[in-house]
Amino acid sequence: MSHVTVDTSEGSTVLLMGNEAIVRGALEAGVNVASGYPGTPSSEIVETFSKVASERRLYVEWSVNEKVALEVAAAASFARLRSLCAMKQNGVNVASDFLLHLVGSGTRGGIVLVSCDDPGALSSVNEGESRYFARLMEMPLLEPGDFQEAKDMTKWAFDLSEELKQIVMLRSVTRMSHASGNVTFGALPDQPAKKAEFKFDGFILDPDEGVVISAPVEWKHQQQQEKVKKAREMFETSPFNTYSGPERPELLLITSSACNLYSREALKLLGVEDRVGLLKLGTTWPLPPKLLGKHLASTDKVLIVEEVIPFLEENVKILAAELASEIGTKTFYGKNDGLIPMTGEMNPDLVIEALKSILNLDYRAVPQEYEQTAQLSAFTGAPPRDQVFCPGCPHRASFFSIHNAIELDGRKGFVCGDIGCYSMAIRPTGFGVLKTLHAMGSGAGVASGFGQLGRFGMDQPVLAVCGDSTFYHAVIPALVNAVHNRANITLVVLDNSGTAMTGFQPHPGLDHNVLGEEVPAVDIAKVCRGIGARVEIRDPFDVEETRRTINELMDDPEGVKVLILRQACALSPQRKYVKNYSMKVDEELCLGEECGCGRFCTRIFRCPGLIWNKDKGKALIDEVICVGCGVCADICPQKAIRREEVAS
Amino acid sequence: MEESVVNRGQSGLRAKVLDAGLCTGCGACIDICPYFRTYRGKTSALFPCIVEEGRCFAWCPKVEVNLDELSNRIFGGPYDGLPLGSLKSLKASKAGPEAGSISDAQAGGTVSALVTFALKQGYIKGAVLTDREGLLPLPRYVDSVDDILRCASSKYTAAPTLSAVNRAVAEGRRDIGLVGTPCQVLASALMRSNQLQRDDFVDPFGLVVGLFCTWAVDYRLFEPFIAARISPERVKKIDIPPPPAEIMEIFGEDGTRMECSLEEIRPLVPEGCAYCIDMTSEFSDISVGVMEGRPEMNTLIVRTDRGERIVDEAVSAGFLEISDMPPDNLEHLTWAAGNKKKRALLRARERGIINSGGGKEPSYLLMNAEVLTRLTEEERGR
Repeated sequence: MSHVTVDTSEGSTVLLMGNEAIVRGALEAGVNVASGYPGTPSSEIVETFSKVASERRLYVEWSVNEKVALEVAAAASFARLRSLCAMKQNGVNVASDFLLHLVGSGTRGGIVLVSCDDPGALSSVNEGESRYFARLMEMPLLEPGDFQEAKDMTKWAFDLSEELKQIVMLRSVTRMSHASGNVTFGALPDQPAKKAEFKFDGFILDPDEGVVISAPVEWKHQQQQEKVKKAREMFETSPFNTYSGPERPELLLITSSACNLYSREALKLLGVEDRVGLLKLGTTWPLPPKLLGKHLASTDKVLIVEEVIPFLEENVKILAAELASEIGTKTFYGKNDGLIPMTGEMNPDLVIEALKSILNLDYRAVPQEYEQTAQLSAFTGAPPRDQVFCPGCPHRASFFSIHNAIELDGRKGFVCGDIGCYSMAIRPTGFGVLKTLHAMGSGAGVASGFGQLGRFGMDQPVLAVCGDSTFYHAVIPALVNAVHNRANITLVVLDNSGTAMTGFQPHPGLDHNVLGEEVPAVDIAKVCRGIGARVEIRDPFDVEETRRTINELMDDPEGVKVLILRQACALSPQRKYVKNYSMKVDEELCLGEECGCGRFCTRIFRCPGLIWNKDKGKALIDEVICVGCGVCADICPQKAIRREEVAS
Repeated sequence: MEESVVNRGQSGLRAKVLDAGLCTGCGACIDICPYFRTYRGKTSALFPCIVEEGRCFAWCPKVEVNLDELSNRIFGGPYDGLPLGSLKSLKASKAGPEAGSISDAQAGGTVSALVTFALKQGYIKGAVLTDREGLLPLPRYVDSVDDILRCASSKYTAAPTLSAVNRAVAEGRRDIGLVGTPCQVLASALMRSNQLQRDDFVDPFGLVVGLFCTWAVDYRLFEPFIAARISPERVKKIDIPPPPAEIMEIFGEDGTRMECSLEEIRPLVPEGCAYCIDMTSEFSDISVGVMEGRPEMNTLIVRTDRGERIVDEAVSAGFLEISDMPPDNLEHLTWAAGNKKKRALLRARERGIINSGGGKEPSYLLMNAEVLTRLTEEERGR
């Protein structure tokens, strides 16, 4: 049960997060299958589906990665069911090879690919653009401009997909997925159990009953482009493209997605709604030329407001060039002229600045003096705070041991990493041991390459880290590569029993799935041994044994070594609210800043559960946030931090 | 002009010793704090420390070693640069019948006999010695005769022996016996002289036995060198017979014997050894070495009252047998020790690390300028 199904009938209005609105839209469309791989800001979509799976008779899964997730959703479509597949922006890159072939083969039941992009990389190490995939893959792209649209557009996307026999991409952004707004429900369909059937023995080119394949390529590609043309015609009259403003505006502002909200706010604050026309586009690929032509003809100046790369801007300009003889030449404002930044998130202030410059307005949201004072006090008054691992996080202990092993080894060893909370090991909280950081699974792959460079004189030990979920997602092929090609590397799998960073979604290593059903767990150690790696398993909270093992593995001159450091995330359901130890500092023993310590626990180890009592010159446990992992007792050189077992 | 503040803690030590290639891995800075650690014979600083004046710096035998101050502390007089250091007597020695069977010992077994005797008589409560695992030297605190004998025989690999002293002290142990090489013994002298003027200072040593040493080898270079010839686990004993043999002998568990020329070994010597001015562990209570041409005997140098008392009693009790040192041997030992001193001083002076900082930058050695001139200009031909 979830509030997305609190009312199955039409008409009630509920406050929904953008991702929940997408789910409600899919439910109203009668979706049958939902899949995805966790990734902020998309994760709530599959999670919300899982909560209503039984009542709505859905099949929901967290797939091993985005490519497989899309394949799972596509199978449902081939069997004439409706399916939705959700992922974050870079997930689309992972899925893209399959996607390229899927748009060639076409689809049957309605299928919607939801990509939640993260402009400004609030929860990412990239601000990748998924919109370009729509153009590259020649498939329709929809972008909701508010929360009601997120629901309505998703519902419509399934109809569109079935009409075109093509997958439809719906793109959200962090501020659309994670912000909330009122959504008025449509009715949920009474769902008779739909029989899935995959038909394949019709004529080979029959889209409904033939084989599902992207060949003959040229013929299928033409079919695919016909679908784009059809979508373009349908988009001319789409209710998701709206205009507000005067008939002949001084300036036409064209926007989409969350930037619609920023633009509306900016126009209102500046009081220029009677001078500037706002064309909000919901169908952003392919653009409807007649609609665009009509609005471009009404003005001489055009401002395009969007986030990150100028996708919309480029496409509007191409149309304007094609239509130049009808609409005349225009002056364009946007990213290419530098008026709007080409990186990071947009916000109303940035839109205001652009409008002020074009319309020659004088506007200050706050007095200049106040703004300067505020900036200065933020700079001087706020204590510097770096990103840190949580209190009791096993990653801190793991990276402490990895760091120490590398330093003791003394050959300038380094760690290649990838995406997870452990990406923060590039920062002091992980003792700065990560030296490369790229895509899911890339740590192992890049290490596999470094592990070959001994022949060119590189004598530095090569390590890689990955999380448990990442291991299944993309590390396995890299590990096979490293073993088969005799790379000399040590892979440390930081197994914290779940997809921790995105909220403990289950993964193939666990014995239950997102629906709470019992499923076979795929054991990481067995997989690695099967591939042919030497495998060790340790508890990262035993820092000395972990360090010793890492040194031993680094000293092993041959082949691929895997160390699995197994300890559940401190915020995981199994560890949260469970305190194994009560920690105390013996102030008599604590050396503080003196020789022999130099504030080791609060200055170097830096678990947030440890506080420096400046007045006393002693360390102190913050009992409110200490989770009682006990590791600080082992790193204290004086044994001044004591652990007492908490009776359970 | 603002005077630069000299760091006498980790960063000073890193700059002047570790990064300067002077560290011989003696272990004086190990196991006193969470920063310095040793692994496979190499000393590393794991994290930056904030202490401005620390024991790591104060005890390091490669930085700010004030020879006059130390000599005054241990011997009650200034450092005069004699080739064999300050001494009370110099004898030939070997283990006596009461010391039992000391089969694994090097040469005459004097060291094992002395340490065993000091332990039995209560002069020391235990001893820090250097055991080994394969070829990896393993410093240990031992308090039984069996364990003393287990650690007998020379290691030749630079060892962090003093780390075991630091651990023993942290466990509250006192009256510790130490058997160490000259750099380790020099560090022990620094540890004995309350460099940091602490109120809670105690001298933890009951007896310091120094070994003769021309150089040691870097474990990380030596291990693969030996492994190419014999599995390190199968090495029973390593020996460098007295000159003019110019070889290293390696004995296997199965009775095999191999030798390699010292020419092959010298590239494995840590850079820091080239600056060592001490062949006979001049700041010990008693120093012991091999004797040229007499493989069953040791050379024994008694330096302090404490050393003299223990040696005398050990002789009376039949743990030690002593005889006069043949004059030729004495002459050659003196020549060799003086030569090592001169070579090292010339190298160090050339590099500008003696009496160099004018108080602002730490030097390696601080010593009387006249003594330095005398030692570096003396002709030492033979």
